[in-house]
This record gives sequence, C-alpha cells and structure tokens, in this order.
Amino acid sequence: MNSFFKKDLLVFWRDRKEILLAVFLPIILIVILNTAFSGMFSSDAESIHINLGLVLEDDDTAGLEQFAKKVESLEIAPDEKQRIMEQAMQIGVNQQLTGFFKNPELAEWVTVQEVTKEEARKLVEMEELDAYIKIPNGFTNTVLSAAMLGNESKMGVTIHAKEQSTELSAIEDVIHQFMNTINMQLALGQMGELNQSTQPVLPQGGKELVDDVDSYTFPQYFTIGISTLCALFIAQTIAVKTITEKRERVFNRIILSNSPPFHYLMGKVLSTFCLAWIQMMLTYGMIQLVLDVFPDKSATFWIGLFLMITLFSLAVAGLSGLFTSIALSIKDTNSAAGIFTMVVMMFGALGGSFFPLQGLPEVIQRIGEWTPNGVTQTALIQFIQYEKLQDLVIPLSLLLGFFVLCLIIALFTFPRRGRI
Amino acid sequence: MLETVKLSKVFKEKKAVDEINLYLGKGESVGLLGPNGAGKSTTISMISSLIKPTSGDVKLEGKSTIKDPSEIRKVLGVVPQEIALYEELSAYENLKFFGKIYQVEKGKLEERIQEMLELVGLKDRQKHLVKTFSGGMKRRINIAAAMMHRPKVLILDEPTVGIDPQSRNHILQTVRKLNEEQGTTILYTSHYMEEVEHLCDRVYIMDHGKVVASGTKSELLSILSSEDRIQIHVSRKSPELIGKIQHMEHVRRLDETNDGIHIIVKKGRNILSELVHAAEKEGVQIINYQVEIPSLEDVFLHLTGKTLRD
Repeated sequence: MNSFFKKDLLVFWRDRKEILLAVFLPIILIVILNTAFSGMFSSDAESIHINLGLVLEDDDTAGLEQFAKKVESLEIAPDEKQRIMEQAMQIGVNQQLTGFFKNPELAEWVTVQEVTKEEARKLVEMEELDAYIKIPNGFTNTVLSAAMLGNESKMGVTIHAKEQSTELSAIEDVIHQFMNTINMQLALGQMGELNQSTQPVLPQGGKELVDDVDSYTFPQYFTIGISTLCALFIAQTIAVKTITEKRERVFNRIILSNSPPFHYLMGKVLSTFCLAWIQMMLTYGMIQLVLDVFPDKSATFWIGLFLMITLFSLAVAGLSGLFTSIALSIKDTNSAAGIFTMVVMMFGALGGSFFPLQGLPEVIQRIGEWTPNGVTQTALIQFIQYEKLQDLVIPLSLLLGFFVLCLIIALFTFPRRGRI
Repeated sequence: MLETVKLSKVFKEKKAVDEINLYLGKGESVGLLGPNGAGKSTTISMISSLIKPTSGDVKLEGKSTIKDPSEIRKVLGVVPQEIALYEELSAYENLKFFGKIYQVEKGKLEERIQEMLELVGLKDRQKHLVKTFSGGMKRRINIAAAMMHRPKVLILDEPTVGIDPQSRNHILQTVRKLNEEQGTTILYTSHYMEEVEHLCDRVYIMDHGKVVASGTKSELLSILSSEDRIQIHVSRKSPELIGKIQHMEHVRRLDETNDGIHIIVKKGRNILSELVHAAEKEGVQIINYQVEIPSLEDVFLHLTGKTLRD
C-alpha cells in the first residue's frame, strides 16, 4: 500500500500543470473574487439602507401641559414642582427622537420622513418604506410620568413593518438605543446631573449585531466555497490518472503483480487525502496571510477549522476511491472523466460553493447540506459566528460517514478479474 | 511447463481465439506469428490471466491456472505492446515501484534494478524521466519492468513495434541473452518474421483465431517442399504476359510485385524456356530470373494467403 501511496504522490507531484492548478488556482480565485466583490461589500453604510417613516401622533406641548397639571396636583413643595417641570421641559422627548434620526452619522444609512399613519401603511405595503415608527398620542406625558413620577406606563414606541428583516432588526436596535439614552438622561436628571451633551449611542449599520455572535464576511464565504470546490477536483484529478493507468496498460501490470485491489485503492485514497489536505491548508494559510480573512480568531476557531479541513479531506479521499472504482469499471474512459467533472460541479453547485443557496428552493438547500462541501460550508459559516466546537460534532461525523460509505461502495464496485 | 488446452475466447459472438493448443517447454523460445486480428494478443491476455477464457484451460506444470491465477502470475513476466510505464517517473523510479509491488526482497531491490538497467543498456539514463526517452528506450524499460521479479516465463507482445533499428537490435539481443544465459522461457509475438526466425526455436502461426501451423523452422519450411519460388524482373509491365504465365501448366500461383513477378511452381519444374518464349511474343525482356530459397514469410503466405503486414 505504501508503494502505491508514494507512487501516486510522486506522479501527481511531477505533473507540474496539476500542481500549479491545485496550489494556486484556489488562492488566485479567492483573491480575484475578494477584489471583485470588495467594493460591493466593504462599505457598511452601503450594505443596509433603511427608509423609515415617522408617524408622530403625539403633541409634546400638549403632553407637557398634561404633565404640568399632574405635577401641580401633587402634594409636594412648590420648589420641587418647579424643578420637575424645568427638567421635563429640558428633555423634549419628541424633539430628541426626531433629532436623533437627523444625526449625520445615522442619516448615512437611515432616511426618515414624517408621514401620517395612513400614508405610512400604504408606503410600507408598497415597500417604499422598510418600516414606520409610531409615537402614539400622549407619549410625552406617559414617558415623563413614568420616568419622573414613577407612574405605571403601558404606552411605547411601536415599529411596523411588512416582514421581519435585517433592516427591521437594525431599526429595533436604533429605537432600543434611543430609549436607553432617554432613560439614562432622566435618571441622571433626577440625580441632578442632567447634561445636554449626553448623546445616544448610535448602532452600527450594515451588520446585524447579536450578543456574543460574530458575523461572517464574503471573503470568508469565498475562501470556504472555493477551497472546498478545488479540493473536490483533486478527487477527479486522481481518478483521471487512474484512467491513464488503465489506458496505458500500467494497471494490467499492477494486476499481474498479484497486488491486492485494496492496496491499490487505498493508495489512491491516501494520496488524495494528503493532497486535498495540503491544498486546503495552503489555501487557508496563504489567504489568511494575504487577506486576513479571519481576523482576531481564537485558538478554538483554528482547531475547529483544522478538524473540518481534515475530515473534509477524508471525505474527498473517499470520493476519489469511488471515482477510481468507477473509472476501472467503465469501458469508455472519456465518459468516465466527463462524469467525474459533472459530479464535482454538481456537488459544487448544490453545496453552495459557487453561490449561496439561500435563494434556491428549500429541497435543493436540504440536498446541498448533504454534500461534503455543503456540510463543511454550513458548519464553518456557523462556526465562524459562534465558535462552539460542539457544533462541529455532527458535521465531522457526517464527513466521516461519507468517507466510509464511499470506501465501502468503492470496494464492492472494484472490478473483478476480466472486467477491466 | 506452460500449455494451453483448447483455449477459446468469444467476444459478442465473434470467436477471437478458437480452441488453440500451445506448449512452451522449459527454457524454450517460442514464436507466435499472425497478422493483425489473428488473436495473438487475446491469447496472451488469457495466458497471463488478464482475461478469462470462454472455454479451455491454461496449465502451468500441468496445473490449471484459471480459477487461481496467483501462481502463474508469480512466474510470468509480460511485456505488453503498449508502454506500460509511468511517464512522469524516471526509469529508476518505475523499476523500483514495479519491483516493490512484485515483492522483490528489500535488500535485493537495488541490485536487481541496476542489473535490469544494465541488461537493457540504460544504466546511465536511470534518473531521467521516461517521458524524455525515445520510443526504443521506453520499450527497453518496458522489458526491464516485466523482468524485475525474475520471471521464469517472459511473454513479449510485439516489443519492437515502431522503433529504430538500433533499439530493435538491442531488444533482440536482450531477449536472446535472457533465453540463452538465464534460461528464461520466451513466448514472442511479432509482425517481423526475421525476428521470430532469429530468436525462436519453434513457431506457432495463427490466423482467424486458430493455429494454422506449428513446428521448428525446418518443419515449417518443409510445408513448402513441394514448391519452387521464382522471382523474375521484366523490362515493362504486361497484362498479356501475366495472363500467359498464369495459364502455364505447372504454375500454382502468381503475384505481381513492385519490381517484377513472383511465381510459385511445382517442385523441380523448369519453366524458364516457356517464360522466355512467352516474353518474346509479348515484346517484353526478362532482365532477371531467380529461384528463391523459401522463408517463414513464404510459409505464412502459403498458409494464410496474406503477408504478415496485411
């Protein structure tokens, strides 16, 4: 088995064209794709733009008057009443909210227009607005009463949208930040430390920020997709070399040596594993060095990536074993090479190596998740975001299962004497 | 040592090999002659266990090898028509790989590689990749690879096809050396009659999947003992003269060649005066008249009605 393994590696190594393709093609493709698409995805402000409607039903002057009456009816000292009212007038809930949206930094990715409720509904329905925010009548009075007098409040700002989206999450985030700021201002005011310069913290547009969850980037997607696809092509390349061995009768010579078919097959499998593994390691290493696609990742991430690459390479090796058996069984060698290319391309497409599968029918997405590259891609994208090693257990098992299954089928389909 | 008994192979109702019986004695050098499509390669593939016969048997030392071919594979070295080598590997690497899979002892592998390279005269080119070799050099390494495990029987399937005369001579010398000095039994197939005449003790002639004749050279030549072969060169081509010769009483066969006419007549019949007379009448001059000693090529032509290159 060792002789076959060494020979296969040596034959591959001497094929300079194949070596150049295997080593540099994935790196070049990833760099090109990254450069080509970087303009499209690099600017956060451009990645999400939100059209927002603001339905202002509340009248803050009337609200302040209502609040003043409430304060007046309180049995507290006149000085205290005056202090509360001065503080309430300083806050100006509605002005703060509209002013907040006019902030130049936020205005880069959020366009706000004041509309009536009816107009807002219509525009959201027509998808001209992503959502609208409604500030209900009596909002100022309610907010001030709750914050400064400790009254119970059931009223709040509501967000209305046609469907849940990344944009909507970002808007929710904006409102949430705003309300926190108002509350903080009121609290500070009660302690006598209200400062006009206290500004709400602006959320970052372009990314959906979830606690403890990192997002994945398009360069990361390309790196995973292209590297898995190119590794799959190693299985095809090795199988094509089997076809050459068969055509040039070298395989006959191997049969005549009484070598067990299992040794021959395992030579192919092991050499494919090594080549795919080296190729992927080089690709990830070089891309990380040149583009820094995985910045600030922990040791856990790199361990997980190493495991996934190793098991994926094993799955590719299994596929190579299967291809080898098929190559020896099929009489028309040209057809065999064509079939292998088609299978790899099909895996590439179904597994999402060419393009994300999100837009495709559910059935295709589910099938794609069972391809070795699909399993790897889905698992790694999830792993980039959560970095939990336990999330890799099932994908790693699936890849191992794929390898074992391919190897069993390869052994059973390996041609018997007289069929080659 | 090795024999085939009524060995047959049918491919999709076409009989490629039809009940042939061959015998190779220990240390013998046996030729297998036949035109393209005669069934030589199929016969070799069956003997070497690469394909299963439809019927019949291949026996090694009297023991059938059909069910368990592992024994025959141990004693057999096969040199295929194709260059069955890894072109991306050097001569040395090829021999090392084949030596290893033929389970040549680790301690003796290096010695054996050098011995084989010496035998085929490529010791100084051992580190060069096979793809940089000439056709003749590739064929020499092809033989060396088949000899790595010291086979008792060496089967060579047209090992000199498409190579220069120098390489051809080298291969013939190598085969002769293997047979005479190392006692290797040889089964040699070729299109080239002179190679078989030069190398082989006995010859089997195959046509349409059957053995049409076999024996030593002299035994085969005796088939033609009832005939004389005459070659004449004439001043110009004349269909009328050809017609007249064909109708002569003792003429059995006539073939037009590039430079004259080849005539087969009954043994001992002199047709010279008749020929001169007929040529004079047609105004044709006979430039040369030659009675030929028959060769195996003539035997082949006699038996199959065609030349080996047909």
